[in-house]
Amino acid sequence: MSIFQVISVLFALFMMYVVSIQSKKKTLTVLETNFWYTTWISFMVISIFPFLLQGIAGVLRFSRVFDLLVVLALMVLTFVIITSYFAQKENTRKLEQLVRQIALNDHEKKTK
Amino acid sequence: MQKSSKLQHSYWVVVPAYNEEKYLAKVLKKIGHYTSHIIVVDDGSSDQTATIASQYTAHVLKHRVNLGKGAALTTGCEYAFSVQDAQAVFFLDSDDQHDPHELILFQEQLLKGYDIVFGIRGLTKDMPLVKRMGNIFISIFIYILFGKYFSDVLSGYKAFTKEAYHTIRWETHDYAVELEIAVRVARSLLKRKGVIIKTIYHDHDRGMTLLDAMHFITLLINWRLSI
Repeated sequence: MSIFQVISVLFALFMMYVVSIQSKKKTLTVLETNFWYTTWISFMVISIFPFLLQGIAGVLRFSRVFDLLVVLALMVLTFVIITSYFAQKENTRKLEQLVRQIALNDHEKKTK
Repeated sequence: MQKSSKLQHSYWVVVPAYNEEKYLAKVLKKIGHYTSHIIVVDDGSSDQTATIASQYTAHVLKHRVNLGKGAALTTGCEYAFSVQDAQAVFFLDSDDQHDPHELILFQEQLLKGYDIVFGIRGLTKDMPLVKRMGNIFISIFIYILFGKYFSDVLSGYKAFTKEAYHTIRWETHDYAVELEIAVRVARSLLKRKGVIIKTIYHDHDRGMTLLDAMHFITLLINWRLSI
């Protein structure tokens, strides 16, 4: 195993530990927990046996499996960042509305 | 033209305040010479801002958490236009950098038929050099992007009518609200006017940082594409 493979496996194990903690805190549903476990186990398997993706890499004209993984990782990252950005924006808007409504209601109660 | 030493009954002054116990009493006392229609929006202060404000006006709205200047101004406008049925509002900062005596200048322009009136500080030595340069840069940048020149975009002293509010309703919740208002005015057919106001600065001004400038530039480009 190369050093990159060792780092990848350790990283995946660490992420699985994070998933288990969030699962215990009930932050993640059973479905989400299973999804993330599957993702990180798959990540470990591919890290150790990269030739498993050789066929797909060939079809997509990637010269190396590593290149395919980098592109896939960037696509996933972009998706996660964009969805987080929109979720954060929506939450900010809702928080602002809520705080404003409470301020107006508090004032109304005081003046009655 | 109708001249008066007091603001009209349907005009309200909105003062956003965040931890401004040092200057607020002084500011509200001065505004009180011109109108009793003062709305203070305490934007989640941790000091005595709300208590001090309630000594000068019955219209104190308190945000439970700090949202930012833009959000505080929206709350003030919603209260003024929806609850108090105001016909126009005046924005004035709570840190004693604006002279309430000049409220009358804004009123005169509103009564002349202008939809929105901007306070313009002279770019004199009274304004720190960094702020002067930043202001000029932003004005030029807005002119390049939107084709209209605004002097002193960052001034928080302004007044506008209820109709204008519906046209320029901003989404920004932080201190970039002044920029968004200028941009929305630039994109509208509103009649605007600038009035020269005093340039007053205090020691606590942190000035515009490079990060602020980058934030503003990003926002302006974003608005150029979306508004």
